[in-house]
Amino acid sequence: MEDENFTNVGQTETLDPDLQKKHLSMLERLSNRNQNRLDNSLTRRSESESSSSPSFESTSSFFSRFSDLKCSIESQLVDSRTVSLDPTQLKSYFEKISASISDLEKLVAENSYFLPSYDVRSSLKTVSDLKQSLENLNSELIPKKKFSFKNKANRKESVVAEVKEPPVSNCNNALPEKMRFMVPDSPGFRSKVGQVLVESFRGSEVGEFTISDLDSCEVRIIGRLRALFVHRLKNCRVYVGPVMGSVLIEEVEECIFVMASHQIRIHSAKRSDFYLRVRSRPIIEDTSSVRFASYCLTYEGIEEDLRDANLDDETGNWANVDDFKWLRAIQSPNWSILPENERVRIVDISTRESRNEKRNPPNKSFLQGLILCPLGA
Amino acid sequence: MGLLSIIRKIKRKEKEMRILMVGLDNSGKTTIVLKINGEDTSVISPTLGFNIKTITYQKYTLNIWDVGGQKTIRSYWRNYFEQTDGLVWVVDSSDLRRLDDCKMELDNLLKEERLSGASLLILANKQDIKGALTPEEIGKVLNLEAMDKTRHWKIVGCSAYTGEGLLEGFDWLVQDIASRIYMLD
Repeated sequence: MEDENFTNVGQTETLDPDLQKKHLSMLERLSNRNQNRLDNSLTRRSESESSSSPSFESTSSFFSRFSDLKCSIESQLVDSRTVSLDPTQLKSYFEKISASISDLEKLVAENSYFLPSYDVRSSLKTVSDLKQSLENLNSELIPKKKFSFKNKANRKESVVAEVKEPPVSNCNNALPEKMRFMVPDSPGFRSKVGQVLVESFRGSEVGEFTISDLDSCEVRIIGRLRALFVHRLKNCRVYVGPVMGSVLIEEVEECIFVMASHQIRIHSAKRSDFYLRVRSRPIIEDTSSVRFASYCLTYEGIEEDLRDANLDDETGNWANVDDFKWLRAIQSPNWSILPENERVRIVDISTRESRNEKRNPPNKSFLQGLILCPLGA
Repeated sequence: MGLLSIIRKIKRKEKEMRILMVGLDNSGKTTIVLKINGEDTSVISPTLGFNIKTITYQKYTLNIWDVGGQKTIRSYWRNYFEQTDGLVWVVDSSDLRRLDDCKMELDNLLKEERLSGASLLILANKQDIKGALTPEEIGKVLNLEAMDKTRHWKIVGCSAYTGEGLLEGFDWLVQDIASRIYMLD
């Protein structure tokens, strides 16, 4: 029979269509047989290798086997374009490749206990790359009609997965997190509306202090703090004695702050005024329509507190604002210096006479004016 | 393994270590670097960009890259990942509200392939502030126990203000890097 085939090969040059067809089918058969042989030898080799692997605990012997297998799989992948056009044949061909890829994966897994972690990772990466390219070839070479049907099914699945996944992961993340750790409540003013909140730390050592979720409140803090966190304030006035560490202000709107600190960071603030004394340059980020002026707070004994906090010198840094959202040489449009004639003069928060001395009315009317005509607009 | 031995030889000659300091803004990265170097820490502005300090520590030369932690510039951290031997993650232990942010940013960082070989020192800073969480508590919040088993890491409580804990942390970091790169020659 083989002789016959060979004579047929010789006759193809006569361009007889019948013979040509025969010739093609013969070539196909031959290449399939060759491929089968290769596949068989490959599986045989990988079998013998995986069984013998425990005896060769060396990275280099692993790598030589690994790269052999990898090369043969790669060449099979390349060959798949020329093997056959028949979908069923292609399918079984791809299945074989897939099997040898999982053999490769098994080889990595079996040797992972002595391989350096980087090698394990890179080997697994190679495996997943091979899988990916097989997948790609699969979707490319197997006829489209069949595939579009598959696609639909896939899409449905993915939608379901999308809907399903977030709540699951949320539960997983949120629940154990909270159960694992209860954050203790630090000293502070929280969740108040329309109140005057007063705290005096004179003579007592205080750590961090938090002011958060206030609406239309006035906050007066007398004495020194180590750190101050301000979060989510609306329409508030905040007067604070010297802070020896840093102040972090986030998400405030239409507020007035009078504070002295070594460092001040302002994030996501809108339409607010800051009367500051800072040893370093204050910074703003994601902030707009804010204005700056110099510190103007007083209470009985503030001089001493300022001195102890190393904040008795006016550095003038209140005007040297860095805008992290405006990294250019020209002035940022997000902040400006508060004009002298619009500034509050002195705010006295001394415990006794503060009531009558307060400049609340001017602050209020000033704020309204600010809202009506925001600066830099 | 030829390349590795060449790298080892070069590094041995220079005895250099590249250390990357990152963490949220206001965690005290710059203050820590200045404190270690014995410099004045009373006037430090939030870092716009980065600072590099070269410090001789024991018999090694540390190149410390202190990169700003403001949200806007965190996306630039990646530019400093290459060839990092040691990673220092600084946490403001008194900033309870942003610990979630802190955990998220750290998790993202540790996914980075280029940092996979770096030793990780977590500094639970501001321990001097009343109300700050202890290093153990910070470790729990950051879920450090769940970290990749191949990572060399340690958490140390410190105060950049008093200097406490800084040497302990850096001693561990330098020893750990040395034992990996120089095989403790």
